[in-house]
Amino acid sequence: MATITVDGVAYEVHEGRTILQALDDLGVLMSQVEIPHYCWHPKLTIDGSCRLCQVEIEGFPKLQIACNTPVKDGMVIHTQNERVQRAREGVMELLLVNHPLDCPICDQAGECKLQDYAYEYGVAHARTREPRRALRKKVDLGPTIVFDQERCILCRRCVRFCREVPKTGELAVFARGDRSVIDTFPEQPLDNDYSMNVADICPVGALTTKDFRFKIRVWFLEDAPGICTGCANGCNVYLGVASNKVYRYLPRRNDAVNDTWLCDEGRLSYKAIGAPDRLSETQVRGAHGLVPARRAEAVARAAALLRKTLDAHGGAAVAGIASAHACNEDLEVLRALLASIGAAGCVPVPTGRSDALLIKAEKAANAAGARALGFGDPAPVVAGIRSGTVRAALVLGHDLLLPAFLGGAEPLAGLDAVILLDTHHSELQRAAHVVFPARHPAEREGTLTNHAGLVQRVSPAVELPFEAYCEGEILAEIGAALGLPGFAARGAGAGRAVAS
Amino acid sequence: MQTAPWITNYLTEHFADEAYRTLAGYTARGGYEAARKALREMRPPDVIELVKNAGLQGRGGAGFGTGLKWSFMPADAGKPKYLVCNADESEPGSFKDRLLMERGPHQLLEGLLIGAFATGAEKTFVYIRGEYAHAAGVLQQAIDEAYAAGHLGADALGSGFRHDIVLQRGAGAYICGEETGLLESLEGKKGQPRKKPPFPAQYGAFGMPTTVNNVETFSHVPHIVRRGAEWFRGIGTEKSPGTTLFGVSGHVVRPGLYELPLGTPLSEIVFEHARGVRGGKRVKGVIPGGMSMPILPADQLDVRMANEFLRERKTMLGTGGIMVMDEDSCMVRAGCIITYFFRDESCGQCTQCREGTGWLHKIFQRIERGEGREDDLAVLEDVAAKMEGQTICAFSDAAAWPVQGLLRHFRSDFELHLRERKCPFERSFEL
Repeated sequence: MATITVDGVAYEVHEGRTILQALDDLGVLMSQVEIPHYCWHPKLTIDGSCRLCQVEIEGFPKLQIACNTPVKDGMVIHTQNERVQRAREGVMELLLVNHPLDCPICDQAGECKLQDYAYEYGVAHARTREPRRALRKKVDLGPTIVFDQERCILCRRCVRFCREVPKTGELAVFARGDRSVIDTFPEQPLDNDYSMNVADICPVGALTTKDFRFKIRVWFLEDAPGICTGCANGCNVYLGVASNKVYRYLPRRNDAVNDTWLCDEGRLSYKAIGAPDRLSETQVRGAHGLVPARRAEAVARAAALLRKTLDAHGGAAVAGIASAHACNEDLEVLRALLASIGAAGCVPVPTGRSDALLIKAEKAANAAGARALGFGDPAPVVAGIRSGTVRAALVLGHDLLLPAFLGGAEPLAGLDAVILLDTHHSELQRAAHVVFPARHPAEREGTLTNHAGLVQRVSPAVELPFEAYCEGEILAEIGAALGLPGFAARGAGAGRAVAS
Repeated sequence: MQTAPWITNYLTEHFADEAYRTLAGYTARGGYEAARKALREMRPPDVIELVKNAGLQGRGGAGFGTGLKWSFMPADAGKPKYLVCNADESEPGSFKDRLLMERGPHQLLEGLLIGAFATGAEKTFVYIRGEYAHAAGVLQQAIDEAYAAGHLGADALGSGFRHDIVLQRGAGAYICGEETGLLESLEGKKGQPRKKPPFPAQYGAFGMPTTVNNVETFSHVPHIVRRGAEWFRGIGTEKSPGTTLFGVSGHVVRPGLYELPLGTPLSEIVFEHARGVRGGKRVKGVIPGGMSMPILPADQLDVRMANEFLRERKTMLGTGGIMVMDEDSCMVRAGCIITYFFRDESCGQCTQCREGTGWLHKIFQRIERGEGREDDLAVLEDVAAKMEGQTICAFSDAAAWPVQGLLRHFRSDFELHLRERKCPFERSFEL
């Protein structure tokens, strides 16, 4: 360990780290110690080219860049004095010499580091009368990203990202000097599983995602912390919310889970939250199909159907199918309910492609949580449904329909009772006798357990325009209606213990 | 063979002799004696100490102590160490290394061998400017001869020291003369300087400890080993010993290469050796050390050509490329040319350099067109100041200094342009 003094405050830091790294390790960079920077990024190699992070170090005749200067015990650093401020002004002025200053039509306006730092550290008056460099404003870099060459400040974070994180290396700096431009190689578009991260790390409005650009001004958005539900990795995100609508996911830094990254597929999974195919109505089956029902009526119907099966065939004829998308708290209620009637449970987990970076094969946020609660392989339950030994099913979600499991709703058609709690429409509704709309993790309190066993909390980021429930509340009410011991008192608070 | 318009000393003494370029001719003049002595009779630290005591300063522009630089190489690296000879000679106004390679290739190779032995380098890369095709051919021939004679290879000069020399031609960029830009280019990457730390002595060519020196620097070394530090210190000034090759170009009667002791007055070089300005005109300004060094006005040519004296005049020796401009010269045009060069050659990594070089050039062009404004000179000064001392390499300084020099000594030229709203120097060299 070494002790460095920054603006009069002593910090204990690790040897072998640079000044910016050491301050970032402590979590004080830009919160307690303001050292503006463009090219440096905590998760990329050091570039040292933007020159904005210059600081004064006692004993050094010249200002030094904080990103690349290793800490030394006893180092005394000044980040706010006149000399440092003048250097920052110089860098800011020079960065703006060729910048188009088209903030009014720039999508980055409001979350632009060039705006922020120009305001904070720059000079208000522009002295350049020379024409600014005219370049391509709308370069289609690939399926996800559009590039404005004029706005680019050549920090090269995107270039390093592609080389170092997905290791695909699509981007490079072409030409040199003030003709330098970032571009792709001919016939090799920017197309990798993490391509949209370049828009996040671009400090200016040069790289924007086709998905988000021009959808909304960012100052209307509130960033609500949440968890991406695209796979078992549980990447931490901010949900960009305005008027109760989610416009985007941005990665939220968590060095133990996703660093500062997010895969493209996960990033776009926000679209499931406000999707038009959300289940929005509580329904019960009537003579001519499903009809809207009040919650209490639906709970009573579900309990009645289950009671009938239990009385006729016993608990073994009931199966509970958990959802790997549901929160631990709800799955705990399901577990308790199944245990008290002697029914079997399982969890069908959708799977897909994985990689060594973030993308996990299990395409659900809480598969590990479900397994930890005892939900296992769906094969015996699927066999029971097919053979007719299972007469009633409590179904969360619709992953059961996947070819790896039931392969469709047909086999459920003959069951005495199918109680469905789900977020989205599916074929399952055709077989369901009672349907409850469920909340997405972005709409509720709860916890999710990622692939590594890390339990992460979610909180409501948006409120639904229709009535929907946490699965646990409905299951507890059904349990109470069945007169099962312990359920009357549980109610909405059931399963909270799991969270802690 | 051209009759020597140059003044010779120990480095260039035999350059008129064509045989000197061959191994036999070089050996007949005492060649490889120094290397034999160093490799067989001395220990590497002794060689470094000798070069330190001689006070040899790098001749590539920065004037850093060569012996000190060699001492930065880790003695026990546990991995290969390399020597790199910077033969990129890209500074406008500089053409000394070319002659040193074309006429004294074995002198350079002998210097490389001694340098490699002193630093423990198993291999030397000579990175030669791409345009120097002839020099590359001469040097490669000399390398082949040296291998055939056993001076290089597994048992160099029968000393047991293994050394290989690889010649690599550059592809044409000023910045590849900057030592870490050179290393990148040598590795096959885009030529742009590396941030420091790490320094080349820790992490150089292909990640190995590396020392980079200029062609002329190495060429002095055999003479120092042969004749000793005392002898070397007897030439030049106390702080800047030895000779150097002054390349004189521009509006002089006799442009050429003059090997003279450091500390020779600039006026002697310009008026005696180069015979003054052609057409009987007067001198207006002289760039003393290659284009990146600030210009001196006619009344300051009394300065002695060594860094300790040039620094007092706010300029430096650089590569010793002296460019003389006559009384008709327009210093704004000179600035246009200089700033264009640096704008064109900036690698574009650092903000100040990438944006500053372009901005300076645009302002210079505007003033030359007669569209300058009152505050332009203040902006030029300020931009140049912002470019100085804040970047990965010294290129940005090299682009800022000449602008500062022009404004320091020829402000009236700029003011004339502003006042007359055109270039008033009708007989100046053209852009």
